[in-house]
Amino acid sequence: MASIKTYTTIFGVLMAFSTVQFVFEFSGLLEDNYGPIMAVILVLSVLKAMAVAGWYMHIIEEPRSITYIALAGVLGVIALTVGATYSIS
Amino acid sequence: MTESADSHHLPPKSTVKRWLVTTDHKDIGVLYILTSIFTLVLAGTLALLIRAQMWTSGGLILNGLGYNQVVSAHGLLMVFWFLSPFAFGLANYFVPLQIGADDLAFPRLNALSYWVYLFSIVLFGVSFFQGATFSGGWTMYAPLNVPTVDASSVTQIGGFAAILALTMFVTSVTLGSVNFLTTIYRQRAKGLRMRDIPLFSISILLTVWMMLFAFAALLAALVILSAEHLIGTVYFASDSGGSVLWTHLWWFFGHPEVYIVFFPALGLLGEIVQTFSGRRLVGRKWFVIALALVAIQSFIVWMHHMFLTTINLPIKTVFMVTTIGISLPFDLMVFALIYTMVKGRIRWKTPFLFALGALVIFIIGGITGVFLGAILLDYSFRGTYWVTAHFHYAMASAAVAIIGGIYYWFPKITGKMYNEFLGKAHFVAAFVGFNMLYFPMFVVWETPRRVFVYDTGLTLWHRVATLGAAIFAASFLLMFYNLVKSMYSDRDVTDSPWAYTGSMEWAVSSPPPEENFPGTPSYASGSLEFLDRSATDGGAVADGDAATDGGAVADATTAAAQPADHASWWPFLIGFSTLLTGIGLSGISGPYFVWPFLFTLPVFIAYLGIKGAQHDGFALIHGAYLTASFPLLALLLVLFDADHGFMTGLGEASNYFYITIVGTVLGAMTLIGMGYESFNVPEPKLAEQWPFGEVESTKLGMWTFIGSDIILFGALIGSYVFARFNFGWHEWWEAAEVHKATWPGLANTYILLASSFTIVLALVYAKRQDKRKTLGFLSLTFVGASVFMLNKSIEWIELFWHEGWTFNTDLMASTYYLTTGMHAAHVLVGMLIMLFLIARTYTGAYMGEEESQTIEYFGLYWHFVDIVWLFLFPVFYIL
Repeated sequence: MASIKTYTTIFGVLMAFSTVQFVFEFSGLLEDNYGPIMAVILVLSVLKAMAVAGWYMHIIEEPRSITYIALAGVLGVIALTVGATYSIS
Repeated sequence: MTESADSHHLPPKSTVKRWLVTTDHKDIGVLYILTSIFTLVLAGTLALLIRAQMWTSGGLILNGLGYNQVVSAHGLLMVFWFLSPFAFGLANYFVPLQIGADDLAFPRLNALSYWVYLFSIVLFGVSFFQGATFSGGWTMYAPLNVPTVDASSVTQIGGFAAILALTMFVTSVTLGSVNFLTTIYRQRAKGLRMRDIPLFSISILLTVWMMLFAFAALLAALVILSAEHLIGTVYFASDSGGSVLWTHLWWFFGHPEVYIVFFPALGLLGEIVQTFSGRRLVGRKWFVIALALVAIQSFIVWMHHMFLTTINLPIKTVFMVTTIGISLPFDLMVFALIYTMVKGRIRWKTPFLFALGALVIFIIGGITGVFLGAILLDYSFRGTYWVTAHFHYAMASAAVAIIGGIYYWFPKITGKMYNEFLGKAHFVAAFVGFNMLYFPMFVVWETPRRVFVYDTGLTLWHRVATLGAAIFAASFLLMFYNLVKSMYSDRDVTDSPWAYTGSMEWAVSSPPPEENFPGTPSYASGSLEFLDRSATDGGAVADGDAATDGGAVADATTAAAQPADHASWWPFLIGFSTLLTGIGLSGISGPYFVWPFLFTLPVFIAYLGIKGAQHDGFALIHGAYLTASFPLLALLLVLFDADHGFMTGLGEASNYFYITIVGTVLGAMTLIGMGYESFNVPEPKLAEQWPFGEVESTKLGMWTFIGSDIILFGALIGSYVFARFNFGWHEWWEAAEVHKATWPGLANTYILLASSFTIVLALVYAKRQDKRKTLGFLSLTFVGASVFMLNKSIEWIELFWHEGWTFNTDLMASTYYLTTGMHAAHVLVGMLIMLFLIARTYTGAYMGEEESQTIEYFGLYWHFVDIVWLFLFPVFYIL
């Protein structure tokens, strides 16, 4: 278990990242530089997910094998999505 | 269903009640075996109908629709409802015995898996009587599976019922996978390392890993397909890659499914070949490594089933290479088995004959499959009887091996030896019949699949196949006679009737005692010992009411003295509720679909109050729940009146609507009943638990479930990416003619993140035993979820009614509503669980380091739901 201060900090970061994602769209930056900004937005989502999993779900305190279960699922999703989408490119 | 300890004791095996309430893994194993054999007979009868139809070109007994139904139902029943459950009957019985566990980690969940499986067969059976069952082939290819194409009122309800039955089956499989993974990782005898567990149990471990992920992809496909039928979404009916999307989802599941079916058979082959060759498997370590390699590779070969679709040539080439690559570990395993036989001293008993026969059949199936993995050859072979023959050689070899397993373990299960002569006669008849049935199909390979008109010059071969089918079917009568007769014979067996055995199930009596072992099994000294239980058993957790299904953790010091519970009515009743719900949904009309679920909400809340008061003593919270349910019901009735007109709506609703309501209400009440049931499952203190030694069983179960849910949501998001890429990424929202709801999306992101924060604070204060703050933060989480749902409702109402952007307006609308809707459904489920947690916290539960684990486990689910949203927000609201 982390401290309440750590949980609060994580919460603040998550809110901030979400706001940044929104601002990219709201300000028109996404429209002007779609590819790079899309990448940044998705990376921010990945970072947010890692923060929630790492601290709120306490994955950093668990044995690594728990992380591997989640990563196996993520790898499966990537294989399916990338494979299927590339197949029609 | 009383809460007394006596209610959890098992009645005698001679009573019907025993088999309805049992949670004992051995009983469940027997139930699985018997039920899957029933399915074999049913699907086998359909196979005989197919062969009778093929006696002459143009058919003999069935019309077109009848033949399509028979072919589809035969395939679906054999692949899903027979092959794997047959193996898992043995797995249920023997995996705990082989690894030294008293039972599976979650016994009630195990019983629930079985009952959902059984009732899914019943639902499939019902589908035959709803006009016609599904008739689009066992692969359910789009667009044959969507209502806009299959518009006949004759086939729609039954066809959808079959789809729902498969969905129930997938649910059962997922529950079973979580259970077996947790058991094998957490409950092995001390000193039994992962690498040393018997081959059959290793094969089951790898099988359930594949099941966990592969079936989640199938579940995603079935959820989408169900939405096509229920609310009219247009994923698979879309001409923008809809049918290719189905094949991707189906075969991402479907190719691992081949190994899911075959792996238990491989494990059995290993066991039987070892036992009857009298020596350890040659290259055992490499055999296991090869198994693990195939399990991983199985997820990167699926597109070889799609060489005739519009996918591009480079990806076909990649998948041709991966397909050929996956045959290599199989070569190693086959050679290991053959070399063990060569080096050993073979005893030609019935189990060995079946194992050898299965190996021969599998080799033929494997070699003929390599042709289909080559792109150019596949262009010629696809859609012909070559595929039918190859497929049956590959899949049925698993069944042949498992039949060998039935003979192998029959003495252990019953305590009696079967008749060896009849066993061998069965093998000869089955082997001859099998090859007479399927080998001619290679000869007449140009016959098109799923069609009963063929070149009349091939008639002789088709008739040979039909005769082979009759012999193959008749051979099973020998088996049934032999086994039933032997059960009542005087051929009693000892603990180990075979000369060379090494695994733990042969060290206990035949049949095994109810508690499995005479003491706590341990290999710590280097050989198997049974230690004094009183010195080795630790505390107990309450399965269900505790960590497993939510509820109170039994006090360790008192529970340790209590025996394990083995009986519960709730799994059977919950299973029955899924049958009623499935029947109801199969014929419910779109506008009525959501109402049974909504009407169930006040019942759920009210019953939570009633059961909570019974269990914990009446408290204000229970009264509040009861009171709140009435205005909620009134509000729903007002909304129903606005939607349909109260009397008119009820009058026009079909019987399916009312059946659905009964099913969902029964489901809600029984789930609450199971949640409040105290059910002791002693957790072994002396056990090998690598690599999850510090992770409690329920937490591991939750994480494996989350692993599966990642694939479910990932497949839904992947489907969206596929559809949008195919349509044109940048044109997507322009074509949708609605604006992205970015502001509501941002608001809901804030709300959900806040709810993750509050649930983690609830956990912090529960550990500190601060009931007031725990309750406060749990309630805040519930409020946050409610606001999320309210905001989501406003967003949907605006788009759906005010802008006229309905489920079937376009592909954009379908993907948006279904994906965010699935997420909302997860939020709603979380809210209902929270009501349970709040009521229990109010009455003093979950306080302290150990007891707060239930809140932690729920938190894992809730945070996962949050993470999903973190991706839905950019994907559906920003990009």
